[in-house]
Amino acid sequence: MTESLFYFLASLTLLCALMVVISRNPVHSVLFLIITFFTISGHYILLNAQFLAAVNIIVYAGAIMVLFLFVIMFLNMNKDSESRVKTSTLSKFAGTIAGGLLFVIMVAAVKDTTIAGYNADTFTSQTGMVETLGAVLFTQYLLPFELASVLFLVAMVGAVMLGKKEAGEQHF
Amino acid sequence: MQEIVMPRMNQDMALLCLLIPLLPFIGFLLNGLGNRKFSKGLVGFIGCSTVLVSFLISIYLFLDFKANGSQAYTVDYYNWISAGSLRIGFSFLIDQLTLLMLLMVTGIGFLIHLYSAGYMSHDEGIGKFFSFLNLFMFSMLLLVMGSNYVMMFVGWEGVGLCSYLLIGFWNKNTNYNNAAKKAFIMNRIGDLGFLLGIFLIFITFGSVSYPQVFAEASKLTGLDTPVMIGITMFLFIGAMGKSAQIPLFTWLPDAMAGPTPVSALIHAATMVTAGIYMVIRSNVLFILAPTTLEVIAIIGAATALLAATIGLVQNDIKKVLAYSTVSQLGYMFLALGVMAFSSSMFHVLMHAFFKALLFLGAGSVIHAMSNEQDMRRMGGLRKALPVTFITFLIGTLAISGIPPFAGFFSKDELLAHVFEHNKILWGVGVLASFMTAFYMFRALFLTFFGKFRGPEEQKHHLHESPAVMTVPLIVLAILSTIGGFLGIPEVFGAEHVLGDYLAPLYTYARSINPAAFETGAVSHELEFILMAVSVGVAVLAIIIAYFMYIKKEEVPAEENARLAPVHNLLYQKYYIDELYNSLIVRPVMWLSNAVHRLVDVIVVDGIVNGVGRMVILSGRTLRYAQSGAIGFYLLVMVCSIALILFLNFFIG
Amino acid sequence: MTSIILLSIFGIINLFVGFMKSKRILLPLSLLFLAVVFGANLFSWNEAQSYFNHMLTIDNYAVAFTGIMVLATLLLLPFSQHYIEEANENLAEFYSLLLFSLVGAIMMVSYENMLMLFIGIEILSIAMYVLAGSDKRRLRSNEAALKYFLMGAFFTGVLLFGIVLIYGATGSFYLTDIAATAAVNDGTVNAMFTLGLLLLVIGISFKISAAPFHFWAPDVYEGTPTLFTSYMSTVVKIAGVAAFYKLMAAAFAASYAAWFPTLIAITVLTLVVGNIGAVVQTNFKRMLAYSSVSHAGYLLMALVAFNERSDASILFYSLSYALATIVAFAVLQYVSEQRNGDETYAAFNGLGKTNPLLAFAMTVAMCSLSGIPLTAGFFGKLFVFTAVVQDARLMWLVVVAVLMAAVGIYYYFKVVIAMYMQPAADAAKIRIGSFASFMLIFITVFTILLGIAPALVSDLL
Repeated sequence: MTESLFYFLASLTLLCALMVVISRNPVHSVLFLIITFFTISGHYILLNAQFLAAVNIIVYAGAIMVLFLFVIMFLNMNKDSESRVKTSTLSKFAGTIAGGLLFVIMVAAVKDTTIAGYNADTFTSQTGMVETLGAVLFTQYLLPFELASVLFLVAMVGAVMLGKKEAGEQHF
Repeated sequence: MQEIVMPRMNQDMALLCLLIPLLPFIGFLLNGLGNRKFSKGLVGFIGCSTVLVSFLISIYLFLDFKANGSQAYTVDYYNWISAGSLRIGFSFLIDQLTLLMLLMVTGIGFLIHLYSAGYMSHDEGIGKFFSFLNLFMFSMLLLVMGSNYVMMFVGWEGVGLCSYLLIGFWNKNTNYNNAAKKAFIMNRIGDLGFLLGIFLIFITFGSVSYPQVFAEASKLTGLDTPVMIGITMFLFIGAMGKSAQIPLFTWLPDAMAGPTPVSALIHAATMVTAGIYMVIRSNVLFILAPTTLEVIAIIGAATALLAATIGLVQNDIKKVLAYSTVSQLGYMFLALGVMAFSSSMFHVLMHAFFKALLFLGAGSVIHAMSNEQDMRRMGGLRKALPVTFITFLIGTLAISGIPPFAGFFSKDELLAHVFEHNKILWGVGVLASFMTAFYMFRALFLTFFGKFRGPEEQKHHLHESPAVMTVPLIVLAILSTIGGFLGIPEVFGAEHVLGDYLAPLYTYARSINPAAFETGAVSHELEFILMAVSVGVAVLAIIIAYFMYIKKEEVPAEENARLAPVHNLLYQKYYIDELYNSLIVRPVMWLSNAVHRLVDVIVVDGIVNGVGRMVILSGRTLRYAQSGAIGFYLLVMVCSIALILFLNFFIG
Repeated sequence: MTSIILLSIFGIINLFVGFMKSKRILLPLSLLFLAVVFGANLFSWNEAQSYFNHMLTIDNYAVAFTGIMVLATLLLLPFSQHYIEEANENLAEFYSLLLFSLVGAIMMVSYENMLMLFIGIEILSIAMYVLAGSDKRRLRSNEAALKYFLMGAFFTGVLLFGIVLIYGATGSFYLTDIAATAAVNDGTVNAMFTLGLLLLVIGISFKISAAPFHFWAPDVYEGTPTLFTSYMSTVVKIAGVAAFYKLMAAAFAASYAAWFPTLIAITVLTLVVGNIGAVVQTNFKRMLAYSSVSHAGYLLMALVAFNERSDASILFYSLSYALATIVAFAVLQYVSEQRNGDETYAAFNGLGKTNPLLAFAMTVAMCSLSGIPLTAGFFGKLFVFTAVVQDARLMWLVVVAVLMAAVGIYYYFKVVIAMYMQPAADAAKIRIGSFASFMLIFITVFTILLGIAPALVSDLL
């Protein structure tokens, strides 16, 4: 059961991720992206990591996607502007072939690798639960957790700085 | 190289040794920083006095060295480079060779500085000139005093840089800039060889300091091991660049674009002999690689001959001297190749005297002629410039090898060693010597004899140079006359002062290859015959020159006149510059342009600007960055990733 | 650790000071902050200690590289004077972003855990994306930011993928654990491990702009405001190389055979592409971009050597390179600003006559970059090359590098020729503040000092 569910979710994830790239309409892209996030959350649940699944939906599907949609609406794109920036067929082909090559090589390289399986005796099924995660995050991984705040501060300062209107600024 | 007495701890001595290079450096700083504020006299005084004091200290060191039993010693200052196992001290090695080079560099350097004070007195940039000249002295002194290869390399690069700066000194002229660039690039090729040689030495011997390297090398057995051939070949490539040997010699004649004192100091007396200094310094290494020595001998002989033939037909007085310098340097390498290290050094010293003299003489002529260098416009200057004439005559006699002038002894000794080693090379040497005598006297006759051929008004301006310029000429003329007695051949029963003095340098080398240092293989009768041949050849050349340029009053053809094919070939310097240009310069330029076109023009200019412009034109959309460049860049990078992974996993 | 805390706090203080009307206080304040951090950092010398469950270790390696990076920032900040003069309203943000990005840089040289490496790289990169686009009025700057961001994001993905694969193969983010796992498996655990390792190499190669992942560098460097280009090509590059070496030495020493061929190929390609690319440029700033690619190549050579000399030679090279690059960009900034934004070689014509100080500082910097003796750059190259020749089989690499260094002299001296040998088209003197002049003199003297007494730095590690 779990296995077939995994394959279903995985194929759905891949399909939707592909559609994000392929679809012409940006709003459709975003919608596909939302489905992708939901399916990934499904994977988390399969791995018994409910907290991550919830966070994934709240942060990505909730906040970030809404932001994306806002931006797209602000840009006010119409048919006209879409047709102007067509990607040439050649570069589409080139991109596909290069990406496909990379994919094939990576799969071929690791296909025979046996992943060191977990030890059933010591494995706790609670690893992915919020309690364990919290404990690890605030003890062992406290420093990276705190320093991530610097990362966000940088991003925030940058966003404000770049977003602010400035005298003499042009619109390109 | 003999055993080194390790640091003689004597504070005063250390300070004195340090002062020798430091004083010119201070001169450089003073003149460099204050060249706008100082008066011309002060600039000249600073420039000359610092070098003079260095010279006096060198004399003191020399006397002290003799008084203390001629023991080589090193003076350590501080731990210059210390990086793991690589420890290089900032230290000087004081031995016979260093002292000789010191005396030569500072002595002749001082005379040329003095001369420059007169020669450059009308020039706006005299402060800059003296600061560069002092910087040159500093680098050259570092080169000869350093006790390891890295210090030699630092000095080596330094003198190259100063040479570059001084060639382009009158930088308003593009040709001069090109000459400077050419000198720099050719020297760089040599420097690369030298650097690689140093790395090989470091790998092989685990050190770059002379005492250690030579002590290690003397323990090696077996001649001609690949690694020794590699090291010596790389070092020789370095020497080739600096000392203008085939195929890296074309920069030296072009370097005559610089002011004449520079030609005398850097491109005749001191810097260009750095290659010879390096080989003599590393004699232990070279002795271990007879194949390299053979190559050196052949290249030296070929250079001597080639440059001499070109010199036969040049009309620019400085060009004649430049080719004769190349030719004489060829002699010195010929001597090194046959392991006559002391003879080579002897010739270096004598050459420094008479070539500096000739250049300064030429400078005096050019000064009088208001910067005219073409001998076809000169003639009959004997009366107007008596001192210059006499001294130039002495220099010419010396370089032609007429006894008892300096060049006779050194050249004769050198050729005797070559004869012992290889008769064909000796023949080449004698032939070159014949040509040398011919073109030098040709220059002398064209310049000082006959009728004045320049414009009429010029004739009234002819004047002898001021004393500050003639005094160095006179001193150098005296040295060129008597200098040869430092090395009187054994035949005359006197002691070979220089040879005995330098003998301790070869202690290690002698222990490795004793056969190379055995003398006396040539019988006295034969030696007399050899001497007679070389003198006879020179006299013959002078007579021919006399008939051509005095009796028949021949004047070389004008620039656009048709020349006989051989004459033309020589006049155009065998078209070597053109050859290099089409063989090396153009393909390289083509290649880099092709790369440029491929990468930059097509990708960046084409896609980015082309598409970018189109996008901007079509209404400044915010999609500017989607111009395709990023897509293209990412495509290439993804392909690279795929390639790297592919090669790692499926190949090898 | 102290430096990380201090820098984070100082960055925030800076932001608040930015609320004040006058921006004049910001520069001295930032310099003071950096000086304090530089001093505080030195206290950790010879007192190796690891913090927070071995997340990071402040050892001499970390202290030395932190010192150099803080010093570089300290030295290049005074050249931001023109921002003050034109009363740029984002000044506080600029300085804060630089301080914050230093936090990331320090994490990159002291991490013990891959997570720390990743966060460090991200802090540094994001700050750079923002600063690249900080000149909103210029199209080039906007373009640079977007390009840098898009490509950077892609390679962040590659890097992260590599880290994850390594985690999958070894079950740990800790360098020591990875090394331990690798050691018991002959350096190659399995194909996943190797794949992860290669992706890591590729990801970091991008960050230090090594070929063939250098494509972003010329465009981004050219578009970014000069002050931040200077920061990018010094601090960011040094942090990247130092992180690279630490990663290889601490985690993948046993896997030498797995990454060595790739790295040596990247190194040679970087040397060739950087130098040949620089030769044909007519724009000085673009030339410096290519030259920074080529210097990444020399730095990688020390990594290729991978022996006990590598870290010290990287350190020395980084310092000498940073000093010279800061001068080059600073002079470029003054010249191009006052000569109508001209960034070509022609802008420097006659500088030797109008501004002897600028011209001299530039000449020393160019000598140092091209490795002429008696400047720091000569010993930088010498140390790297001697580190490489310890393995005699790598002599050919030194031959390539020496040849490329010779090519380098050609394009570095183009600007020297322009300054001293070309007549000035525009004889106006370039105005430069006295503090900035002092800084230029200081850096120049420092460069020459290191060229005379390299032992000051070369034996630190």
